[in-house]
Amino acid sequence: MTGGAAKLSRRAPVLGNLARDRARAVTIVLLLLVVTILMLLGSAAFGSTWVPLEKVVAVLSGGGERMERLIILQLRLPRVLLAVLAGAAIAVSGFLLQKVTRNELASPSVLGVVDGAALGVVIFLALLSNDSNALIVSIGWQPLAAALGACAAVALVFALSGRQASSAVRLLLFGIAVAAAAKSVIMVLLLTGPIYRTTQAARWIAGAVNETNWGEVQLTALLLVPALVLALIAATRLPPSDLDDVSARSVGLNLPVFRLVIFALAAALTAISVAFAGGVSFIGLLAPHMARLLVGRSAIAGILASALCGAVILMGADLVVRVLFAPTEVPAGTITAVIGAPYFLYLLLRKDRLNG
Amino acid sequence: MTATANRLPLIYGGLVLLLGVAVLGSLMLGYTIYTPGELWDALAGSGTSEADTVIREYRLPRAIVAPLVGAALGVAGVIVQTLSRNRIASPDTLGLNAGASLAVVAVSAAFGTSSLFGLSFAAASGAFLTSVLVFALAATAGGLSPLRIVLVGVTFAGLMNAMVEVILTVNEAELQQLLFWLSGAFVDRPLTLVARNLPLLAVGGLMAAMLARPLDALQTDDATAQSLGAPVRVIRIASFVAVALLTGASVAMAGPVGFVGLVVPHAARALVGSRHSEKLGAAALVGAVYATAADILARFVIYPTEAPVGAITAVVGAALLLVLLRRRAA
Repeated sequence: MTGGAAKLSRRAPVLGNLARDRARAVTIVLLLLVVTILMLLGSAAFGSTWVPLEKVVAVLSGGGERMERLIILQLRLPRVLLAVLAGAAIAVSGFLLQKVTRNELASPSVLGVVDGAALGVVIFLALLSNDSNALIVSIGWQPLAAALGACAAVALVFALSGRQASSAVRLLLFGIAVAAAAKSVIMVLLLTGPIYRTTQAARWIAGAVNETNWGEVQLTALLLVPALVLALIAATRLPPSDLDDVSARSVGLNLPVFRLVIFALAAALTAISVAFAGGVSFIGLLAPHMARLLVGRSAIAGILASALCGAVILMGADLVVRVLFAPTEVPAGTITAVIGAPYFLYLLLRKDRLNG
Repeated sequence: MTATANRLPLIYGGLVLLLGVAVLGSLMLGYTIYTPGELWDALAGSGTSEADTVIREYRLPRAIVAPLVGAALGVAGVIVQTLSRNRIASPDTLGLNAGASLAVVAVSAAFGTSSLFGLSFAAASGAFLTSVLVFALAATAGGLSPLRIVLVGVTFAGLMNAMVEVILTVNEAELQQLLFWLSGAFVDRPLTLVARNLPLLAVGGLMAAMLARPLDALQTDDATAQSLGAPVRVIRIASFVAVALLTGASVAMAGPVGFVGLVVPHAARALVGSRHSEKLGAAALVGAVYATAADILARFVIYPTEAPVGAITAVVGAALLLVLLRRRAA
């Protein structure tokens, strides 16, 4: 009797902690959402000409002067929205991979998808340029080349791994091997090719969202939004702790199949976003860890926080390159680490929640 | 284990033999191909003046640099994978190569340095500074857990690679010249450069050898390691220093040669199992053969131009990794 009461009183604070953790996670996700929206408005406002925030809101709600409408709707909003979509998708992809492989170094780039896409772009630039290094087709086909490269790489990884694909670390190693092979072909093609091509390919590989048009944004959204919803559904099926075989069986999951589905989903998310935004893969490594430090190990809060962190980082990086480095076109992808890393290190050093 | 122990001399013997063949190949093969007789004459100093120059001043240094760098990175890779308990970790994961690259790019952008010794010194300093930084940050917040080491390292790697990219994009003129350095090369490394870095390699190698037994304890979880009486924290610190010395010396000699430190540990484990007293030696030999072979291949892939050896190590390593994986040995 007394033993039971003591047990109860010991458990009560744990339950209290759980409720508090959940409330905390919800608050942080909402805060991140606010930051994302502010960042979006700020990104539309800042640039070579400053548009006051109230005018940004006016333009977005259908009013505003002609000049402001042109700047915001045609020049700034497409790249900002692409940054939101691609940043969120890459981050979610990384989240799924880290969760399902239980490897903290897992990220979209180790599946071979990013380097495959980069190889697609480099081959595209190499094959379809004439003697004076001008492209003989429209640059608008470049995303297609990237997507094809990404799909080819994923197909290769799965074909090579065969039945071993259900083992997490093996699939990662297969991905790393394919990525490395693609990377070396890229290196050789770039070193033997003309400098102009090197520069252009290097820009893609780093990742950037400038020169985005509405058509590309619509296409990306059309492909990414369903994939993101699927990812969220998959996340609800993830056990709250990281997935190991025993806990998966205990919640009735067929783990090998589930892993394959998640891998495919992560690959699709990455392929779609890198096709238009380039190799912005560092976000996929960093944002999920950031989310975990912020909201703990809950799957749904984690996926939402990852997506928002990813969106904010890529928007922030794009804003920095537009404001600080203009007129030199530094690709936003290179800055993502500079934006994300300090805050991540701060989170890492401030808290000791890694084992929580 | 006993079966492996019986095979051990055979495996080591085979690897040493392979290394000998690779080094000979590295001396004989290239733009001009020499026969063993010509090679002997040149080494003895009685060959034609042309063969004399090519072999003694051009090929001999790289036939020495390549195996040294390969061995150092292979050993460093084994230590990092044990230290981080992560089989996809490598010296790159700790940010050392990124730190070296950043130092090189920053120094040449700021001072226009292009002398090999200047760049080499910058690379080593960059790698050491990064290791101190990563170590200090990982240590300050709640101990040196593998997860923390990896996360801090990866973050620094990303941060520094980003800075490299920014500097390169802003000073585009330097792009082509440094791109070659940044992918690693064994070409045109004078023996004096090797001599300067030899002490670092020797100390790092010695530390690795002394760490063999303690690292075995680190393969289990911390509680088990501690109950076995292993001073986990001391082992981690010593491992970190050994990795910094070995990687720093390699990057100073050859630039950031990728992928060696990732693949070689897998190959070594497939050959001799996971005891470090056997794995570290095997990793040194496999790494040496691998880097030397990659260096020979680099001369022929886009003949007559040299390919950057980093591209070749990645492609050869990818093939090796695939073979290991397909045989379920990795």
